[in-house]
Amino acid sequence: MSSAVNAGVSAVLESRVSHGLWSDAFRRLMRNRPAIVGLVCIVVFVGAAILAPIIAPYGPLEGTLAARLQAPSWQHLMGTDLQGRDVFTRILYGAQISLQVGVISVLMALLMGGFVGALAGGIGGRVDAVLMRATDVLLAIPGILLAIGIIAWLDRGMTQLMLAIAITYSPIFARLLRGSLLALRETDYVIASRSVGASRGRLLLRHMLPNALTPLIVQATLVLATAIIDIAGLGFLGLGPPDPRTPEWGTMLTDARRFLQQAPHLVLFPGAAIVISAIGFNLLGDGLRESLDPKMKR
Amino acid sequence: MTTVRPETPGTLLAVRGLLVRFRTHDGLIHAVNGISFELDRGERLGLVGESGCGKSVTNLAIIRLLPKPAGRIEGGSVLFDGEDLVTMPESDIREIRGRDIAMIFQDPMTSLNPVLTVEEQMIETIQAHRTQSKTEARARAVELLGMVGIPQPEKRLRAYPHQFSGGMRQRVMIAMALALEPKLLIADEPTTALDVTIQAQVLELISTLTTGAGTSLILITHDLGVVAGMTDRINVMYAGFIVETATTGELFDRPSHPYTVGLLHSMPRVDELEGEPLIPIEGRPPDMRRAPRGCPFAPRCAWRVESCWGTNPALTSLVEGAPVILTGPAATHQIACHNPPTPDEAELGRPTRAGHTPAPAPEGEIDELASLAAIADGAA
Amino acid sequence: MLKYTVRRLLAAIPVLIGLSMVLFAFVHLLPGDPCRAILGQHATPEACARLRENLGLDLPLWQQYLSYVGDLLRGDFGSSIINNKPVLTEFASRFPGTVELSIAALLFAVGVGIPLGRLAARHAQGWTDGIVTVISLFGISIPVFVLGLVLVYVFAVQLQWLPTQGRIDARAAADLKIVTNFMLVDTLLAGRLDLFVDAVRHLILPAIALGSIPLAIIARITRAAVLDVSNEDYVRTARAKGLKERRVDDRHVMRNAWLPVITVIGLQVGGLLGGAVLTETVFSWTGVGRWVVDAIGNRDYFVVQGAVMIFALIFLVVNLLVDIGYAYLNPRIRYS
Repeated sequence: MSSAVNAGVSAVLESRVSHGLWSDAFRRLMRNRPAIVGLVCIVVFVGAAILAPIIAPYGPLEGTLAARLQAPSWQHLMGTDLQGRDVFTRILYGAQISLQVGVISVLMALLMGGFVGALAGGIGGRVDAVLMRATDVLLAIPGILLAIGIIAWLDRGMTQLMLAIAITYSPIFARLLRGSLLALRETDYVIASRSVGASRGRLLLRHMLPNALTPLIVQATLVLATAIIDIAGLGFLGLGPPDPRTPEWGTMLTDARRFLQQAPHLVLFPGAAIVISAIGFNLLGDGLRESLDPKMKR
Repeated sequence: MTTVRPETPGTLLAVRGLLVRFRTHDGLIHAVNGISFELDRGERLGLVGESGCGKSVTNLAIIRLLPKPAGRIEGGSVLFDGEDLVTMPESDIREIRGRDIAMIFQDPMTSLNPVLTVEEQMIETIQAHRTQSKTEARARAVELLGMVGIPQPEKRLRAYPHQFSGGMRQRVMIAMALALEPKLLIADEPTTALDVTIQAQVLELISTLTTGAGTSLILITHDLGVVAGMTDRINVMYAGFIVETATTGELFDRPSHPYTVGLLHSMPRVDELEGEPLIPIEGRPPDMRRAPRGCPFAPRCAWRVESCWGTNPALTSLVEGAPVILTGPAATHQIACHNPPTPDEAELGRPTRAGHTPAPAPEGEIDELASLAAIADGAA
Repeated sequence: MLKYTVRRLLAAIPVLIGLSMVLFAFVHLLPGDPCRAILGQHATPEACARLRENLGLDLPLWQQYLSYVGDLLRGDFGSSIINNKPVLTEFASRFPGTVELSIAALLFAVGVGIPLGRLAARHAQGWTDGIVTVISLFGISIPVFVLGLVLVYVFAVQLQWLPTQGRIDARAAADLKIVTNFMLVDTLLAGRLDLFVDAVRHLILPAIALGSIPLAIIARITRAAVLDVSNEDYVRTARAKGLKERRVDDRHVMRNAWLPVITVIGLQVGGLLGGAVLTETVFSWTGVGRWVVDAIGNRDYFVVQGAVMIFALIFLVVNLLVDIGYAYLNPRIRYS
């Protein structure tokens, strides 16, 4: 009788116990409707980026002056721009640029900021104080001005663009990781581990970092939304990719300004592209935050 | 299901068939499932049970302070001085709150507004119900602080809550609650968040002040030790039902519901013989998302019989045929149980009559006793 | 309270020092040949020599730095390469434009954002809440310049209700005496109500564009703060005392909800300064933002260096004021 009852009992107990943070979170995410909407937007965005060479009807640099500033039509779904290039094609290729630059910059920011934050939070003391002062200096220069300054210093270029955005967002990740680690140091289970002799390094890697990761992931998603907007902003100011022919969404809007009256589609479509991508990452980030936080109250 | 009786004339509070449900993301929570009890003027009642049994919810429901929009009173009546609080318009019940019925809560750290001084919070209480000038109200506040034993009351009035210690803060809450000389004081776990040494002081204070003014008291706690010295009668609650009710002395003398027996045996007592084992109540607290079916304590009850799984026993007199008196020192000892423990079994803490095994669980029910026994078996 | 203020001021000093070092490096440690970078490809050797002397590029680095800091302390933020005018004066003449725009945007964001947040909290989970959430989402997802361009198209090009260029109708205001360079102030000082109205009309669209992001964030934070506070025990106590709902709302909920909201408002100032750069470009608004962007195009490094320094200083001061204000409002910090 014992083993049968045991098996039955364990099956019942198991079904009552949660399956762990990640699958639990995933299931909650799937039930979160705004997050699904966000995911759809992101799929469209990434899909456009990846499939651009396949679905684009024309080349991104292809255009004749004769066909300039045409309104949307069946031949040109989103019209043509100042140089007669197909806007729809350029939006698709623009997605590549935004995705590439955005993801790489945010990853760089995560690594740089995370490294600094891990040092500050993990070691504490003097190191922490110095590193935090350094991030304060970066944070003292408001918003986009820091990126503008860096590009002014380094000159225009794709790497410089990514570096500028990465440096602008590093302090956020540094602060976040440091905060998480500092808080975790005081938690009971870390103190308990230390009391049985776990070394600092082991403590950091096996106990503290995995828990500190989730807010980082959430923040990275939200930062990606702002990064896409900032990249476009820099492009709009003429500080984007150095080659003026590159189909970057923000740069596409610089010309659009002058021809707002005749060709509003030049503003509408790149603008909509930026907004949809940003909405996507914002919704996903919010959804992740809600589903990963076990005690989230609405 | 308790049988509904007409209200005994002269009672201050008469709760009848109170039903409270919460609508949440996880489902419908059946917090309070049709309880009835009464309270006389000047009488002191204890509500005892573990977390989640519905004792706090009952009291929030009485003054209609359930968290909105999730919590709702879905049935029953609460007669206070003859008027039904459940159906009363909001403006009327607002007058009763603070003035006739006062409440003190569990955590004094978070129950006071951190950005207002004690003076501001006390004066607003007084001025909400009486037309008094600020000076008069302030004088009264000083008097109250002195009454609860706070040194240098004039000075302390201008302090902020975080500048007081836990025990002092609870005294401030008591002072605020008693400011308007209410007819009923509801104390929801007033000492749970305090240090043990302070607990006795605060309880003593509540006791003295309420007896002195003839204020009725409902004391909510999970700690039987607390109610022992403070109450005239005790209601034991489980899973939103009252499972036993008796005068305090009677309850400790003759605990008759398996849950009460379990509670008493799971507490270490100074007067026990050495070596007496502590018998924990087996199993886990009930899942309040399920509508009650049968006796809620059945999964954890060693005395259960077949009918316990199917029918929820009604609250009836322990002594068959005894007249039911709901309040006062002659209140009837009632329990809700199909197979109550005998006095000997109650003394021992487990069933001893020959041939009794707890009735097995039917389809779909989880037997909390078996799971633990099986684990114990497996380990042996 | 005083101790807290002093502590905060002292904490700001290392940041200022670090900032000066970073900005020093901006000019004195330019990658590549500084001469070519600053003066352009066709710089003459004489011009280069003059530049080297001016900047003291032959001196040891620490001496260059000290001389830079010395200049800063004397209020010398360098001079523009283009027209040789001191950066500080140029900045000061254009700054009121940016400030006027930023204040208008902030007033818009706070004036609409906080009530929206409170409304959403009051009807949490209802459809009003849903609408406010959607508005917030779009607010943070639509870039300032995109919104600006859309507003220009709708209100100026199509409807022709509002102007979109500059701060005031240049022809009508040709003889306006500029005192403070705040259009709203100067027009009133001169008694010209018609110009005042005109200035306001010019302010509306840029303020909305610039304020859209702070509005979204403030609405969100207000909603969250009000909901959080509404669930606190002391709000329950207040209701249990029989206080009127209105009083509970104002005295107990809002007084506590204000705290995080004010912090957020303070943080938005930085975003406003950054966003001003973009808005000024879209609306051809004469302010510091546009000036800096043009300077970058002209490789006027001293302007960029000086302007960023001044921006950072202003930002630090604002943060300091917000911190002190918060500490004052929160008795737990005030009396610790």
